[in-house]
Amino acid sequence: MSLKDILSPLSAWRNITREPVTIKDPLNDRPGAPRYRGFHKNDIEKCIGCGTCETICENEAIDLVEVASINAKNGDSGLRPLVDYGRCCWCALCVDICTTGSLSMSNEYTWVSNEPEDFRYIPGVDKKSWDDSELGWKKPDYSLIPTERIDMEEMEPSLREGSFLEIVRGYSRIQAEKEADRCTECGICVSTCPAHMDIPGYIRAVREGNMEEGLRLLYETNPLPEICGRVCTHKCEEVCAVGHSGDPLAIRWLKRYIADQVPFEEYKRILGIQSIEENGKKVGIIGAGPSGLSAAYYLRIRGFEVNIYEAKSKGGGMTMYGIPKYRLPMNMLDSEIGFLEEIGVNFIYETRVGEDISFDNIYTKHDAVFVGIGFEKPYKINMDGEDMPGSLQAINFLDDINKDKTVDVGKTVAVIGGGNVAMDAARVSKRLGAEVIMLYRRRVEDMPADSEEIDGAYEEGVKIYPQSIPVELIPDENGKVKGIKYLKAEMVSDDKGGRPRPIPIEGSETILEIDTLIGAIGQEADYSFLPEKYSENIETDRGRMIVDENNQTNLEKVFAGGDAVNRTADAISAIADGHRAANGIEKMLLK
Amino acid sequence: MENFNTPEEIINYAIQSEQEAHDFYMELSELVKFNELKLILKQFAAEELGHKQKLSRIIENTDQTGLIQESVVDMKMADYHVNIVPKKDMTYQDLLTIAMKKEKGAFKLYTDLANKISDQNIKEIFLGLAQEEAKHKLRFEIEYDEYILKDN
Repeated sequence: MSLKDILSPLSAWRNITREPVTIKDPLNDRPGAPRYRGFHKNDIEKCIGCGTCETICENEAIDLVEVASINAKNGDSGLRPLVDYGRCCWCALCVDICTTGSLSMSNEYTWVSNEPEDFRYIPGVDKKSWDDSELGWKKPDYSLIPTERIDMEEMEPSLREGSFLEIVRGYSRIQAEKEADRCTECGICVSTCPAHMDIPGYIRAVREGNMEEGLRLLYETNPLPEICGRVCTHKCEEVCAVGHSGDPLAIRWLKRYIADQVPFEEYKRILGIQSIEENGKKVGIIGAGPSGLSAAYYLRIRGFEVNIYEAKSKGGGMTMYGIPKYRLPMNMLDSEIGFLEEIGVNFIYETRVGEDISFDNIYTKHDAVFVGIGFEKPYKINMDGEDMPGSLQAINFLDDINKDKTVDVGKTVAVIGGGNVAMDAARVSKRLGAEVIMLYRRRVEDMPADSEEIDGAYEEGVKIYPQSIPVELIPDENGKVKGIKYLKAEMVSDDKGGRPRPIPIEGSETILEIDTLIGAIGQEADYSFLPEKYSENIETDRGRMIVDENNQTNLEKVFAGGDAVNRTADAISAIADGHRAANGIEKMLLK
Repeated sequence: MENFNTPEEIINYAIQSEQEAHDFYMELSELVKFNELKLILKQFAAEELGHKQKLSRIIENTDQTGLIQESVVDMKMADYHVNIVPKKDMTYQDLLTIAMKKEKGAFKLYTDLANKISDQNIKEIFLGLAQEEAKHKLRFEIEYDEYILKDN
């Protein structure tokens, strides 16, 4: 050991009077730069626990963890990021990618603690002195994720009158891949989708150009992707993490893209359904709507003999007869149903249960029965004159139009209602050349129709009279509709927290001259097919059958799904019902 | 129109009306096909009995503090909906329409009686009873608004 080795450590004492550089000195504070990347902060109310920060972190310094005070809900996993400063390199990519902009960093940069565990903490939950500091690194103005959705080409509104051609053109390969590139694969959308489709998985398949894998993923939980790719209510997009700082992913259009790319004749090979081993059990399905078709697919591929009884001449239910062709071309439905026929599902068309065949017959002939009857009976408005000529029900009107029947609606049409069926009736009437006025009891923002349907109606020139309550139809000298009397309404807030109620204003009667009235205030299930020994025992809630987690009713071996069960009134929930029921039937009969 | 001389007579008349309403709903419950509708009608009937008991308590206490005096929101659905004839295959929509119209009928009856009476004390009891019926009607109208007119 040399003398230098002994004296060198002592030379460190000469620094004792210098200003501190890294350790905070209350007397000689050296603030970090305004945009310094100090310690993580998180606005936990804004954060949705999408986990994109965790995914991007190369050092695996972030874990999503449960937080006692936060519950998972639609669009929020309930988890929050925990940061480990033993691993963090302060690159701030987590902040830059943050979909909601909740994550940021302080400009405070010194933190002394003798407790190693302190340096693993949940920003925003474990309180820190820098939580309220204004300065520091925030998500910059640019975004790592493109915020704008790839536009979907649509037919110009001016060209739509008289045309029932599909409005939406569909993505090209380049467009689809570019749109798919925006997905962070966080999966926050999966729990919101009623069918829990593997959305990140099939979007990845689009990005990688692997359509066969995409189709397999679609069919895992949804055997009607062509339909859903066009008319799904796409609740998934409402919770898309990317939508917090830009346009949500066009999830529905990407699903449609996959389904459009694969020819139907390839489906059996791709889905691995070359041969089916029969299990000897028979299931009768009443109604070939989305829930019945879904149940049929999942039962058939598991070896059940499946017989679907359908009152109409084609399957598809309301998607076939209630949705106009400009939203859902019929050949899509024919192809998807054709595929079910190809794998051995027996369709017994033009057979109304209760008239052409008894429910008892179906019940005794099968090991299980699935009831997917939908809502095909329209609610009456119950106003004076409703039954006169010129007064139509929307679902009958749309059915006639889809069957290419000629319907003369005259020059002016009034549509009553504010849901998707009302929008369809209004937009179809517009295509027939009529002036269309929608009378709706509440405000436009209260309309249950999808916003894109409302926008489409406006684009095509449909007029909406909100806060208008129809009270009477007025006949001409021949007893046909000549006008409709309606009252204006004021909205009164509900003391119990419900939605505001429309209250008619005295003396506000207005008469609108019309040629046709189309009622579209809603529908209900028609249970006339059920003999009394079943109807007196089946449990219902305001006309909807009550089912358990397997979609089984309280009647032995009777399962149910679709509009006659759930309140969401959309195809994807019906498809999910059918899938659950198929699982339940399999469990009941085979396990 | 009945003639009433004392508050007790009015209340007894109202009690009788509630009993008749109860019997009406019970008869309907025998008519309809669905178990749920049978139960709903029995519930309506039970509520009418509840109203009857409330009126009985007013007699026992010889005051009308149990009657609401403030006005109740009127959605007027019962005014412009057509009458429904009770039948075997009635739906929930039909039941609600029948019920709201029945309550409206009772409201109108008590209001008419109040208008024909000069005795202020009796008049107020009638008006109180009318408001009670208006409250029942509003309940059915809100139910109709929530479940039948969901799309409207």
